Amino acid sequence: MMVQYDYVHPRSPLSITLSVWNALFLREALSRLSAGRIAWLWLLADPIMQISIMMFMFIVIRMRVVNGMSTEAWLIIGMVFYLMFKRAATQVQNALGANRALFTYRQVKPVDTLLVRAGLEGFITTLIAIIFGIGGTFFGVALIPDDPLTVLMVFFGMWLMGLGFGLITSVAVQLIPKMGTILGIVSTVLHLSSGVILPVSNVPQPYRDWLMINPLLHGTEAARMGVSSYYHAITGVDVSYIYKCAIVAIFFGLALQRRFEIKLTSL
Amino acid sequence: MIIVDDIYKRYQTSHGPGKWVLQGISFVIPPKVSVGLVGRNGAGKSTLLRLIGGIDQPTKGHIERRCRVSWPMGYGGGLQGSMTGRQNAKFVCRIHGHEDDIEDRLAFIEDYAEIGSAFDEPIKTYSSGMKSRLQFGLSLAFDFDVYISDEATAAGDAAFRQKATTAFRNLMNRSSLIMVSHSESTLKDFCTAGIWLDGGNVHWFNDINDALNAYKESRSK
Repeated sequence: MMVQYDYVHPRSPLSITLSVWNALFLREALSRLSAGRIAWLWLLADPIMQISIMMFMFIVIRMRVVNGMSTEAWLIIGMVFYLMFKRAATQVQNALGANRALFTYRQVKPVDTLLVRAGLEGFITTLIAIIFGIGGTFFGVALIPDDPLTVLMVFFGMWLMGLGFGLITSVAVQLIPKMGTILGIVSTVLHLSSGVILPVSNVPQPYRDWLMINPLLHGTEAARMGVSSYYHAITGVDVSYIYKCAIVAIFFGLALQRRFEIKLTSL
Repeated sequence: MIIVDDIYKRYQTSHGPGKWVLQGISFVIPPKVSVGLVGRNGAGKSTLLRLIGGIDQPTKGHIERRCRVSWPMGYGGGLQGSMTGRQNAKFVCRIHGHEDDIEDRLAFIEDYAEIGSAFDEPIKTYSSGMKSRLQFGLSLAFDFDVYISDEATAAGDAAFRQKATTAFRNLMNRSSLIMVSHSESTLKDFCTAGIWLDGGNVHWFNDINDALNAYKESRSK
């Protein structure tokens, strides 16, 4: 004879997911800001050093203006917007490995760790961007945007691209051996072809059109246009292209998460 | 009550699908019956616990959990090495929806684990016995109907095992246990019924002693 049970689901699936996101967010924020004594300082020091080194090199070759924008502003905008993509992408890519122990709890799904990391990274990089904006303006760099709405849209688009890229690569690095090495090379190519440190306007046709396939290049150029209406961006820059690429990447990334969900938890 | 209905499980290996670990097993664990799993290494005991715990899915068939089931405890699983014991405990409280009374539960876990100031040190500095203590305290802080233990008490010292035994004696009227252990005395202490896993099949015994005897007999052959 079967015993009657009086078990009811105490929590809805949505409330479980929300409490998992809350717990993961606090855990990630803590480890991001307190790994080592001055982890929070490195979040800021890293882009500052990169920008300083590039600025020094531009000074050495006596390039004061890039396409109608001061070199400082050109570099800061490109770096900060690319940073939004880069940080979101890397953090999401490594989320599964860093949270493996937590998959012991069936409430925690692999995709939760990815989405929460993307959210946290977006939050941190937004703060960094604001600090750069205020700091740069204080030192006389023209960073007050002429078209704030475009700037915000591009910034959000770069975050979406980072999320989409990370969703795909997180599965790839877990399932394909040596994928991390290959992605390191891909990341260098992306960095050089996104108009962050090398002005793409110098690249002759038809190669420039090839570079235009890279949605991140559209992002950095559209961001500079949004900050200064006097900036001569390369022709063909399209903000909606970033969003189209991001939506395709996120859809494909989520599909991969769904397809390999069991495999990712039991690795 | 946990209903395991005709489940098959095999893992993917680097050269195609591996051999079947579990082949069409079915059984029902009634409420408040503690079960010990026995079988030789590689018989699929831990796999079965992971499936019951819901952190892995069967290749075929399905498992129904009509009660609150804990995560599988054991071997330091579920503890994030870079976080402190307290941070891990907070995380587990939050995912189980206990944001409101988190302080009470933390106090309980800290008190139960008895690892002193190590509670605020990263898990990677813990010994395996300390991890066991923390895991055990963690799982007792929530009202599960069924606790899953994969050698969870194996690393503990005598005092801790005594404490764990007492804790489970007190829980017996509202909770039960599904456990894997290679220690006969532990199984006899905690369990009433037994499951013997052999060659991908299961044999259910209403008495754990019968399960242990059947397993012993198969070994002497």
